[in-house]
Amino acid sequence: MTALASRAAPAKATRVRRLPAMKVAPYLWVLPAVALFAIFKIYPIVWSFWLSLFRTDGALQTFAGAANYQRLVADPLFWTALRNTGVILVVQVPLMLAVAVALAVALNSPLLRFRGFIRLGFFLPMITGLVAYGLLFAVLLNPQSGLVNWVLGLAGIPPVPWLTDTLWARIALGLALTWHYTGYNAVIFLSRLQALPKDLYDAAAVDGAGGWHRFRHVTVPGLRPVILLTLVMSTIGTLQLFDEPYVLTNGGPDNSTLTVGLYLYNNGFRYLDFGYASAIAYALAVIIGILGIVQFRVLGERT
Amino acid sequence: MAHLDRRRFLQLGALAAAGGALSACGGGGSGAAGGTGKITVWSWQGPAAMMKQLVPAFEKAFPAIKVDVQDIGNPAIWDKITAGLAAGGQGLADVLHIGVDYLPAYVEKFPDGLADLVPLGAGKHKTAFAQGMWETVSRDGKVYALPWEANSAGFYYRADLFEKAGVDVETLQTWDEVIEAGIKLKEKTGVQLLGIDKPASQADSANLFQMLLQLQDSFYFDMQGNVTLDTPQAVTALTIIKKLNDAGLVADMAGGWNTMISSIKKGSVAVQAMPTWFGGIIEETVPAEQGKWKVRLPPAVVPGGKVSATVNSTHLAVAGTSEDKAAAYAFAEFVLTRPENQVAIYKGKGIAPALMKAYDDPVFHEASEFFSGQKKGEVFLDALKQPSYVTNYSADYPRALKAVTDAQSKVLLKGADPATVLKEAADLVGQQTGRKVLR
Repeated sequence: MTALASRAAPAKATRVRRLPAMKVAPYLWVLPAVALFAIFKIYPIVWSFWLSLFRTDGALQTFAGAANYQRLVADPLFWTALRNTGVILVVQVPLMLAVAVALAVALNSPLLRFRGFIRLGFFLPMITGLVAYGLLFAVLLNPQSGLVNWVLGLAGIPPVPWLTDTLWARIALGLALTWHYTGYNAVIFLSRLQALPKDLYDAAAVDGAGGWHRFRHVTVPGLRPVILLTLVMSTIGTLQLFDEPYVLTNGGPDNSTLTVGLYLYNNGFRYLDFGYASAIAYALAVIIGILGIVQFRVLGERT
Repeated sequence: MAHLDRRRFLQLGALAAAGGALSACGGGGSGAAGGTGKITVWSWQGPAAMMKQLVPAFEKAFPAIKVDVQDIGNPAIWDKITAGLAAGGQGLADVLHIGVDYLPAYVEKFPDGLADLVPLGAGKHKTAFAQGMWETVSRDGKVYALPWEANSAGFYYRADLFEKAGVDVETLQTWDEVIEAGIKLKEKTGVQLLGIDKPASQADSANLFQMLLQLQDSFYFDMQGNVTLDTPQAVTALTIIKKLNDAGLVADMAGGWNTMISSIKKGSVAVQAMPTWFGGIIEETVPAEQGKWKVRLPPAVVPGGKVSATVNSTHLAVAGTSEDKAAAYAFAEFVLTRPENQVAIYKGKGIAPALMKAYDDPVFHEASEFFSGQKKGEVFLDALKQPSYVTNYSADYPRALKAVTDAQSKVLLKGADPATVLKEAADLVGQQTGRKVLR
């Protein structure tokens, strides 16, 4: 017994010593990332939910339960913001993605020269900073002295009240968004196009399919997974839309370009009503979650 | 939260950088004897420039204190102070320049965000400032800032254009008469009377509306904090704006400040209904138009009504987290309670002091060459001496302002009825804030 035990013991001891070392190392490696994630993502998410249950009355933070959520349902401005965001989602996102697909197909063409340069040109808006972007469009669209109205004037078209008329402000916002994000989506489509097997096109050509038929029956089905990806990403991005209305229109005129993201910001950082802003954030998260699931269900199953 | 997070991240990054700079600066000084060190001051454009000029004199008087005045820019400074206060005072400067429209919100929402200045000795200046100023900066026996500017409502106008139109502006008694004069002016010169940021592209597009309210001793909230946007006074004010607009007298100043400045340069409007400090801006913008401009107090809203109102004010506060509140207070006191410094600031940028003693200086009683030989300082001094209605901005001012500018946009862009849109605005503010709406 003792001999057995003494023989087994060292073996066991080395195993015990070694195992933790092997197991701890990976955790140590991921620890910084996990810690950062916890501090900058999980903590704010949890804290924001906690905040959403409080009402800020002057210096007093009073527990209010679901009061902020009830207030949200009865708040006409929240519904206006949601409706504005919905309009962009339904009108601008499909248009932008269609343009991006067309652009990707064009950029993929071997007939095109300086392809790299042109691709860069379309992608550049994506990395333009918020301030530069806002200034650029404010200058371009200025009703009195803007370049766009000047060019329209050359064609004999009267000045367009960009940014000052409720309908035109929405259109201006859509144009800015399209300028900013189309190239980004086109690059995603492009990478997928380049992964599509050339044989399929050859086979389709042998079967007598023309350009349009090849696009419809080879390119589009091939792109479906990235269409789903860009659609979901654009939906999330649109629902959180903030930069463009913030710099271009300040949500105006008369709240025609107020988005949920901007309304959230206003409530938190202009009106200092952090409880209510948190409730808006949570309502938004739920809406995004539901829309995401629906999109995956509808488009994902056919992939 | 992708969009928002990035912005917040950038802001926090900027704060962290500022905080880093602060602690780096403070490091050397805090070890020095007497607990004195380096203090930082946040302000914007003109006032920041003037404070920078006062720093050498201050450091001579207080050799142990080093001052770093930073021009954060307006409106950027409000986001920055708000973010700092929300972060428990992290990264804030020691001295903060705060407008009356933000002060109540900061005091109410961040109880320890701003230091009480009474223990530092602020009490002795209680009667030194223009009427209503001390009430504006104090609450429940505490004093949260020292008053700097007291801006009275003003009416700057292009005398040469009105002369061409055959209108004597000095005789205009009421805003109804202003509208008639504006119609004549437009017929004769083609120039519109005044400008408003019709789509409310910037937050402060309701300046004229507010002034018309304050001339009637009224505002968005009464002293008890009730919403007073659905009152006869408010309807009267917005109706005047609608009449001006319907007569084609209102130029669209979409784009806010920059558009307004370019309208002055182009001479596309004849009147700037702006407070005291704006005279300095006009002088700086169009120095060549010397002698073409004049200024008076605004006409009354109703016949025989008030023509003076303290439309806004700014203040210097000390951050609650400041490591050296005494030094910070010493600087604020130096800038704001010594008449010679306020006089110097007035000479530099035309910023009107709340400190009444400053007005003993001859500069306020001199004829201004730019303003056609008028004694511009006395025009506004007369207004400051009048009994002043203390405006309750309340913590919910930003929310009410948004509702008001939306209502005004509806009137100016779609011809909506003032009474209807103000009723809607009042209800909205009531719903959003839980405050009672007075009718």
